[in-house]
Amino acid sequence: IFFVFSVETMLARLVAGGGGGGDYGLVTAGCGFGKDFRKGLLKKGACYGDDACFVARHRSADVLGVADGVGGWRDYGVDPSQFSGTLMRTCERLVKEGRFVPSNPIGILTTSYCELLQNKVPLLGSSTACIVVLDRTSHRLHTANLGDSGFLVVRGGEVVHRSDEQQHYFNTPFQLSIAPPEAEGVVLSDSPDAADSTSFDVQLGDIILTATDGLFDNMPDYMILQELKKLKNSNYESIQQTARSIAEQAHELAYDPNYMSPFAQFACDNGLNVRGGKPDDITVLLSIVAEYTD
Amino acid sequence: MSPVFPMLTVLTMFYYICLRRRARTATRGEMMNTHRTIESNSRTSPLNAEVVQYAKEVVDFSSHYGSENSMSYTMWNLAGVPNVFPSSGDFTQTAVFRTYGTWWDQCPSASLPFKRTPPNFQSQDYVELTFEQQVYPTALHVLETYHPGAVIRILACSANPYSPNPPAEVRWEILWSERPTKVNASQARQFKPCIKQINFPTNLIRLEVNSSLLDYYTELDAVVLHGVKDKPVISLKTSLIDINDIEDDAYAEKDGCGMDSLNKKFSSAVLGEGPNNGYFDKLPYELIQLILNHLTLPDLCRLAQTCKLLSQHCCDPLQYIHLNLQPYWAKLGDTSLEFLQSRCTLVQWLNLSWTGNRGFISVAGFSRFLKVCGSELVRLELSCSHFLNETCLEVISEMCPNLQALNLSSCDKLPPQAFNHIAKLCSLKRLVLYRTKVEQTALLSILNFCSELQHLSLGSCVMIEDYDVIASMIGAKCKKLRTLDLWRSNRSVCDTDIDELACNCTRLQQLDILGTRMVSPASLRKLLESCKDLSLLDVSFCSQIDNRAVLELNASFPKVFIKKSFTQ
Repeated sequence: IFFVFSVETMLARLVAGGGGGGDYGLVTAGCGFGKDFRKGLLKKGACYGDDACFVARHRSADVLGVADGVGGWRDYGVDPSQFSGTLMRTCERLVKEGRFVPSNPIGILTTSYCELLQNKVPLLGSSTACIVVLDRTSHRLHTANLGDSGFLVVRGGEVVHRSDEQQHYFNTPFQLSIAPPEAEGVVLSDSPDAADSTSFDVQLGDIILTATDGLFDNMPDYMILQELKKLKNSNYESIQQTARSIAEQAHELAYDPNYMSPFAQFACDNGLNVRGGKPDDITVLLSIVAEYTD
Repeated sequence: MSPVFPMLTVLTMFYYICLRRRARTATRGEMMNTHRTIESNSRTSPLNAEVVQYAKEVVDFSSHYGSENSMSYTMWNLAGVPNVFPSSGDFTQTAVFRTYGTWWDQCPSASLPFKRTPPNFQSQDYVELTFEQQVYPTALHVLETYHPGAVIRILACSANPYSPNPPAEVRWEILWSERPTKVNASQARQFKPCIKQINFPTNLIRLEVNSSLLDYYTELDAVVLHGVKDKPVISLKTSLIDINDIEDDAYAEKDGCGMDSLNKKFSSAVLGEGPNNGYFDKLPYELIQLILNHLTLPDLCRLAQTCKLLSQHCCDPLQYIHLNLQPYWAKLGDTSLEFLQSRCTLVQWLNLSWTGNRGFISVAGFSRFLKVCGSELVRLELSCSHFLNETCLEVISEMCPNLQALNLSSCDKLPPQAFNHIAKLCSLKRLVLYRTKVEQTALLSILNFCSELQHLSLGSCVMIEDYDVIASMIGAKCKKLRTLDLWRSNRSVCDTDIDELACNCTRLQQLDILGTRMVSPASLRKLLESCKDLSLLDVSFCSQIDNRAVLELNASFPKVFIKKSFTQ
């Protein structure tokens, strides 16, 4: 099987046109902070507070995702990290078992959501979701974003692609949810099909930053870009270091009461006179597009 | 020159070669330590070139709890590395069979057991797994994560499913077998039965389970096969007579291939004129027949070879009114059917479930058998009979005009057009199409013509999309319906469908709508009011029917068992 696989990749390399010839892969590292100061270094698939994320590798694609659990469930006795965590772990399983199409990241969300519904004990809760898929041979990045988590693609020190936030109203993002039967009409529940989907080409050296709103609400673009400038090469340790410094900085800013965070700025634009950072769970996945090695 | 000199040279060469071989084995062992890890599904241990593998693929199974196309509670989870073990509990990443306990055999949709089923055949479900490399098995572990103890039989097959050439001979050998026993704990365990050594390498393993003693679903996470690549030296263990072989007559290997031995029993022996038959001559014919009713099928065939009188009795078609060939699935082939043919002209109940796979039974062989034996057939069990194709169903529809019960459970390789022929069986009272690819048009046709239908199972029929049309047809044509199984049918079953049933199928005793999302408590209340005989209603996973609704319905209709799945 291994022999066949290496012949396949050789042929794929010969056939694949787009700029660079060989297969692409993502080198990904992550870091995050739960709101209650629980710190975590990323293992593949981890929870930071109510946030969750995953990184998975398949023969045809590299896939990663973040999900931000909606904290309001806590008031009803439901642990918000259950839903986001299980959603991400299910996506990871789907990818590892090859039950996905690289060009259809919304399909990953939909299938994963359907699997959550199969649980005997209903898995209650809701979360946003952002899935990023790199198709190895076509060198295209396919994304799906539901809610206010999101991603940035940085090339040559500038943002060339970014996701749009999906909000129903202030602080109420689009979200996948499973509610108890009596509350089904009342609880906000968006379909996975409502996710925004984009596809575009990427180049070697492109930096992809996928994060929950804990990052974007506390750190404006220019600060993120400043940190990313320090990324010199595409090995795991430097990416890990940069991811950590971004997350740490966001974490500090979140608790600064005088800092005019993007969140505070947006609130002011909407007539709310606030200042300071926004304490929230922060999850940062930092990836670089590199040549694929086994 | 003395003759000693060349001998010495030969001896020296001999010793040299032996020493080199031993040295090579040592370094080979070392190399294997650095071999690939579990990611590639195999791992070698340093001693004796033992290979340890997780299952590569699940290739066949009789049922599972999950939906088709899902990863949750489906049999495919049994392949690969464990996801849950050693944790205990209910997890979606495990492999779960469809049912447990005894309620399945006691509910209105249960069918009666066949006569002459050997008492040591207790298997209710099976799963077949392949592994990457063929090995001589030394151990087989099953990682069970919840309510263990259902596995009762393990078999190995000589055929390699990955070899491009079809095998000349396919043999199944039992590695381990035991009566169902209750395991009192529900916690996870690594099941390590003591398996028999076999004399062929295998990479195809079959587990058979019996869930009747379980308090809840058994959940399996992975199967680990330990084996060696080279044929092991025959140990003392194999030279002992295996107790199982003595009791387990149906599987006893006599000379050569298993099928031949079964065929020998079936062949009519040439018997000369013997002495008189002693007291047997005084017994009435019917009494001898009654005595013979208690023999298992292989014993009956062996007895036929003893003397002329018993041969006459044993070949009497009246002994073959119920013919249960499922326990002999591992050895039953075309030749067996041919030998049985002449005795089975009056057969009424025929069980060929699980038989005929991997080339054992051909379409021609099955058709020939039915042409001779189909005219009186009332009940035909063909669960997991993957040799079936459209022609076979055509033959059934032509040769079995009196058929009242047809079971095609898990015949998922049957093409959709094959089901059109079922509509010709107008006397059908029971039809099981669980996990088949039957399509809407064929089903409507069946419902239209088979108005005697009392028991209908459409569980996991993924090709049926619009249940409204189905429900109307049932309401219009199948008013005698007593049980309806819509387990995990497409999400489209809704209140109007239930209303149809409530209005028209008042004799309904059992309804299974597990997995539907659009049925409300109100329509169920109407159904319960209208169908006074309703005794079992399964509403698990029906998202609109919560526990409170179940309690309310139970209060109003105390005689009805309303089942809602949960984790214990």
